[in-house]
Amino acid sequence: MNSTKNNKPEGNVVETSELTKKFGESVAVDAVSMQVPRGTIFGFIGPSGCGKTTTVRLLTGVYTPTSGQVSVLGKNPVNFTKEDREKIGYLMQHFVLYPDLTVWENLNFAASFYGVNPFRRGHLRKLLDFVELRSDSNKRASQLSGGMQRRLGLAATLVHNPELLFLDEPTTGIDPILRRKFWDYFKELQNQGHTLFITTQYVGEAAYCDLVGIMHEGKLLMVETPENLRRKAFGGDVISIRTTEEIRYAHRHEIENLPFVRGKVKMISDQEIDVIVDDASTAIPLLVENLNTQRLNTESIEEISVPFDDVFVKLIETEKVDA
Amino acid sequence: MLKFLTRIFSFLNKEIAEIFRQPSLILLLVLGPFLLMFLFGLGYPDENRTLRTVFVMEDQSTPPEQVNLFTESISPTIAEIKVEHNQADALARLARNAVDLVIVIPADAVETIQSNQKAAFLIYHNEVDPFQIAYIYSVSSIYVDEVNRRILESATEQGQGSAGEFQTSLEDAIAKTQQLRQTLPVGDANLATQVDELLKTLNDAHDKLRQFRSMSSSVIVNPFTSDVSGITPEQFSPTDFFAPAVIVLLLQHLSITFASLSIVRERRSGIMELFKVSPLTAFEILLGKFLTYLFFEMILAAILSALIVWGLGIPMLGNWWHYGLAVVIVLFTSLGLGFLISLISATDTQAVQYSMLLLLASIFFSGFLLDLRLMWKPITALAWSLPATYGIRMLQDIMLRGAPIPLMIFGGIALIGIGLFVIDWLLLRKNIEIQYSST
Repeated sequence: MNSTKNNKPEGNVVETSELTKKFGESVAVDAVSMQVPRGTIFGFIGPSGCGKTTTVRLLTGVYTPTSGQVSVLGKNPVNFTKEDREKIGYLMQHFVLYPDLTVWENLNFAASFYGVNPFRRGHLRKLLDFVELRSDSNKRASQLSGGMQRRLGLAATLVHNPELLFLDEPTTGIDPILRRKFWDYFKELQNQGHTLFITTQYVGEAAYCDLVGIMHEGKLLMVETPENLRRKAFGGDVISIRTTEEIRYAHRHEIENLPFVRGKVKMISDQEIDVIVDDASTAIPLLVENLNTQRLNTESIEEISVPFDDVFVKLIETEKVDA
Repeated sequence: MLKFLTRIFSFLNKEIAEIFRQPSLILLLVLGPFLLMFLFGLGYPDENRTLRTVFVMEDQSTPPEQVNLFTESISPTIAEIKVEHNQADALARLARNAVDLVIVIPADAVETIQSNQKAAFLIYHNEVDPFQIAYIYSVSSIYVDEVNRRILESATEQGQGSAGEFQTSLEDAIAKTQQLRQTLPVGDANLATQVDELLKTLNDAHDKLRQFRSMSSSVIVNPFTSDVSGITPEQFSPTDFFAPAVIVLLLQHLSITFASLSIVRERRSGIMELFKVSPLTAFEILLGKFLTYLFFEMILAAILSALIVWGLGIPMLGNWWHYGLAVVIVLFTSLGLGFLISLISATDTQAVQYSMLLLLASIFFSGFLLDLRLMWKPITALAWSLPATYGIRMLQDIMLRGAPIPLMIFGGIALIGIGLFVIDWLLLRKNIEIQYSST
């Protein structure tokens, strides 16, 4: 595969402001404002039907916005020229290539309609190597598994070496091992200089992204780094403490009164608590010191990485309460 | 420009590969039409239908010579003749389709005619097909003419026989008049002149009588005959005549079917959305598809034409370049029609139904079955909106008359083809925009 644009200027490849799309009375995308910096993996996460695909369609120029502003690669997608479109790769949610054609024929077709140089055999072979489909190049698409079809779709999306990739739920319906592999591909593409805008329903995949946008019922709740999402969900870093003695109310009260501790201490068991702090790295030594002062013998103390599913649920609940 | 061409020809490999994934389809497309033509030729030999006929003679005392007169006065189209005496039995057989025609001979024909009235044959059939009924009318008319002719010939021959005796008497009268002329006294000029005039009249009558007797009775009864000649180079069998029309109908139907399914399938698969995001334009998609199908169907048409002309021996009197041009314009316009169907259909089934409807319309209105000159004028507008109508005219002229491509007809279909291309292009643009943007 060709290496691309590592030396591209910094800046945002996608910018939206109050971007809205209505279908009749129904609001599919509600005043979404966001920026996607060049060279990042931007995860667009939310449950099915929350407006992710509609947003992608607005960003690729498939839909015209009802209101608001959108700029992709510095232009309104509705006014994209052919040259602008050549800079974009789009992997649709469903497999849309031709089931009666072989892997090679499908890829060759995609290359043709993107206007890739006719002398491209080597390039296509490298792409098939990248998605590990080289040995299946003579198989018909209909004979491929779901995961292989997604990989073929990804290869077709990359065939013209686009600057910006929109991948709409590329990992939906495939097993966890292959999903992990896909994220390895995406990281490699990012290393080659591509910007990736990826939608997913798998909240856990937020961990692979540089920035994550949380979408819920057409609204973009926030755009943060994965770590900041956790902090936002729980009000800070979560530290798990396990002691050899029973942790009593007085001990907990003492901890809750520390200045860097946020909120109440959560009891997990008699000898285990979760504490939310501003910054785990500075808080852990201070907590150990406090436990020693309280004559509690620390068995273990560590920052825990709360599963993003919990983070997502917490964020949605908070949003509902705020609303 | 290279990118433009690459994008357009992206469809060539794709569509051809998809078609060749179905070898049975290829076989069907090439051999199917050829076999149809072959079977059509076998099924319709250049012969008229013979009618199994029963003659009913209720009067069993009819002399055999009269029976023969009625049953032998037949054209080759009346066969398997049987004579019965019970009309009800004969009609029952007709109802069972055991016979095709029942001819009831008038029982007292001689008496009826002698009383200065016409004797009527009652002819029964059991057909529902208007063309077959018209055929039976025609056969019946020929039959009755033939009976009348035979009777007249017979009467004429009898008259000629009787005229022989009269001629002898007349010759005797002439001889006696000549003797009388010689015995007339000289000087009676008035009487001599009268006798000379009588002699002349008798001689004239004799000459006419001799001429009458020397003439064939068939010439006297049927003095005129007809000799019809076409000014076309050859005369053709029904298979020859229908071959150009069948080629056009098949090519039109193939084009419409291929094209009508093409875009509707892609729209339903969702790939149109990908096309919209890609640099591909509606014009490039349409042009790519047009060229691909045109290329494929030109090859198909070439094979089919070769099989029909050299395999079945269908005449090809015209110029092959003109033939090729006519085929290409028919394919181009039919593809335009097919893509139009594809763009207005929501599903595959709907597209197939539209295609079948067009095929039916083409069979009925293109002049394939019935001559367009028989059609009510306002309806001919429908006929001339179908590519097949133009195609059949062009191919019949080129193949059967050896004429050059008729320019007016070529221009007409070319205009329709270009118009359809433009409409398809606008519809495809609008179609993509509507599908993805206006909801």
